[in-house]
Amino acid sequence: MLVFAISDKGGTGRSVTGTNIAYRHALQGNDVCYLDFDFGSPTAGAIFSVGSVARGTRESGLHEYLRGDCPQPRRVDVWAESDREGLRTRPPGAGRLVLLPGSEGGGELSALSEEVVGRCVQLFGRLEEEFDLCMVDVSAGRSFTAELVLAATVRMPAVPFRWLVFHRWTRQHIIAADGLVTGTDGLFDVGTRFGHDPEVLRDRIRFVRTAVLEPDAAELVGLRDEQRAWLSACDSELRELAGRHGVGRTTMLGKVPLDPVLQWREQLITDEDVLASKIANVETAAAFDDLAKKIVDDNAWEGL
Amino acid sequence: MLVMGEVHTGLLQNSGEISEPACRQVLGLMTGETVRVSRRPIVHALSPDRLTGVDCVLPAASGSRIRGVGTVVSRCAVTGGRVAQGSSYVRLARSETDRRLPWSHYLARPGVIEVLGKARAADIAEGFVGEGAPRLHGCLDLTAVTGRFLDLVQTSPLLNRRAPFRMPRTILRWVAETGEPSIAFTLHTEQERTLRLTHPGPFTPAVVDLCEDLAVHDWLLTSLLVVVERARVGATPAAEVAARLSPAVDHLLHLWMPAARVEERLTPFWESLERRPGFSRQWRSLVDRVRDQLAVHTLALLSANAETGGR
Ligand SMILES: Nc1ncnc2c1ncn2[C@@H]1O[C@H](COP(=O)(O)OP(=O)(O)O)[C@@H](O)[C@H]1O
Ligand SMILES: [Mg+2]
Repeated sequence: MLVFAISDKGGTGRSVTGTNIAYRHALQGNDVCYLDFDFGSPTAGAIFSVGSVARGTRESGLHEYLRGDCPQPRRVDVWAESDREGLRTRPPGAGRLVLLPGSEGGGELSALSEEVVGRCVQLFGRLEEEFDLCMVDVSAGRSFTAELVLAATVRMPAVPFRWLVFHRWTRQHIIAADGLVTGTDGLFDVGTRFGHDPEVLRDRIRFVRTAVLEPDAAELVGLRDEQRAWLSACDSELRELAGRHGVGRTTMLGKVPLDPVLQWREQLITDEDVLASKIANVETAAAFDDLAKKIVDDNAWEGL
Repeated sequence: MLVMGEVHTGLLQNSGEISEPACRQVLGLMTGETVRVSRRPIVHALSPDRLTGVDCVLPAASGSRIRGVGTVVSRCAVTGGRVAQGSSYVRLARSETDRRLPWSHYLARPGVIEVLGKARAADIAEGFVGEGAPRLHGCLDLTAVTGRFLDLVQTSPLLNRRAPFRMPRTILRWVAETGEPSIAFTLHTEQERTLRLTHPGPFTPAVVDLCEDLAVHDWLLTSLLVVVERARVGATPAAEVAARLSPAVDHLLHLWMPAARVEERLTPFWESLERRPGFSRQWRSLVDRVRDQLAVHTLALLSANAETGGR
């Protein structure tokens, strides 16, 4: 299964949520690889706490591979190479967790050529033979990278793929997330132009809300009644707006609550963070765990 | 001089094994040429040979730049309708001249790379299969060539891509020379293996058959180890262990046929590997473990049924 992670804007929590989903999926016993296709800002290494590739790799990064400058992209075994003690041994029953880092200082793709698409097809095809899940961080907004993976997946009709569109729970983000999917040069538009069946494509896209502050969250306990009432009104307004923009409950795969740890630092939330040091919220870990199950649960992806 | 090659082996990307006619279609890379099929003791299908022209630097442990020009022979194979392979090799020969000749010259010698200038076979062999050998820019890349041939099989539109489990490809890199018989098989990373072979008499493609046969069995053993490890015997409930082991029973266990396709004169090499490291010994012990687990699970089910039935 190929899963593409995209968002309209940068800073929505796409990378942090995507990496945490990948991590949880590996803990659930699956072999997982994470491809950092966010060529402009390859941060996945930092989130997995692999210092040597914190801002991408200097040698054999994905960008270099796609340009044809190296025969195969570098692979980093997170269980072996993470600097975080709690990640450095593979937990019993966990699958492989492999990061394919972007190139340090690589920059966005500037064009789409036949050769680049061919290399992308080869890469996806081989990884899919080997891993239960290949999570691809596609970067923000309309980009050559998004076009690249749309073009590549058309050529591999038997390989299953899905899209996750990440957005924050605000007016601007809801409207933008809808626009990225259904607007001009959005996923449908470009995907259809490249030969995807629009009906099929529609069924393979789900939204994920990030850093959501629920009106009944513990963080809001100290608020005045007026403030709480206002937040509640906002939330129902947003729900109504989301529904109108096709970003509502039916097309939502899940949501991740706002977490104090993630607000301060981009990282994986381990069970240790939740149970031992208690710095992260148990709901956050549960949300990642739930998403990690739902990305492969066909019931969550039934036609709408 | 020296022969060197690579074999990439992987699980065929299809939900079930494919039939002999399907093998023929998948491997018929070009119409008009025949796929060679043998049926006993296991269905084995081999594509026609393909040539790739190369003008490259040859690997060398010493790091010296040795130029070679010629062609690489590649082919694909499917064993038991279930295991797919890409395989390439080249024979090195000293060039009569020290400059590149017209391509017609090299095309008349399929699978031969002519070495321009001075070179020692041992230096090239060590550069190819030795650990930590320097990789020069523009170096002969059999991995890329062979990988693409395996891709040809795996991306065939005749396959549904719903393989019963995920498994990495293995890569066997081999060198062969004429001389006093000896064989050394070494495991490197999880996916990489090397084989150094010295055989009596001149090189024939039967040596390639041997390498491919070894690669299939090494992949089977590696894969069965992974499946058993994933099942976590003793740490997960018996029913789950049984469920995780069942793909191995359905898709792998019946494929073990060591030396099935190996020419008589080369079988002593297999026999020596059977003594050490003992491929079949390890395979049998794993198979017994899998069968024991399933038997225990079945017994548990039967007695549970008997109990509920008696009530
Ligand atoms: N659930 C969350 N709660 C709080 N902060 C979050 C959450 N998810 C992400 N963040 C923070 O938001 C910022 C942007 O996240 P990042 O994943 O880098 O975004 P993107 O990849 O979309 O640019 C980071 O500082 C990250 O730690
Ligand atoms: Mg990011």
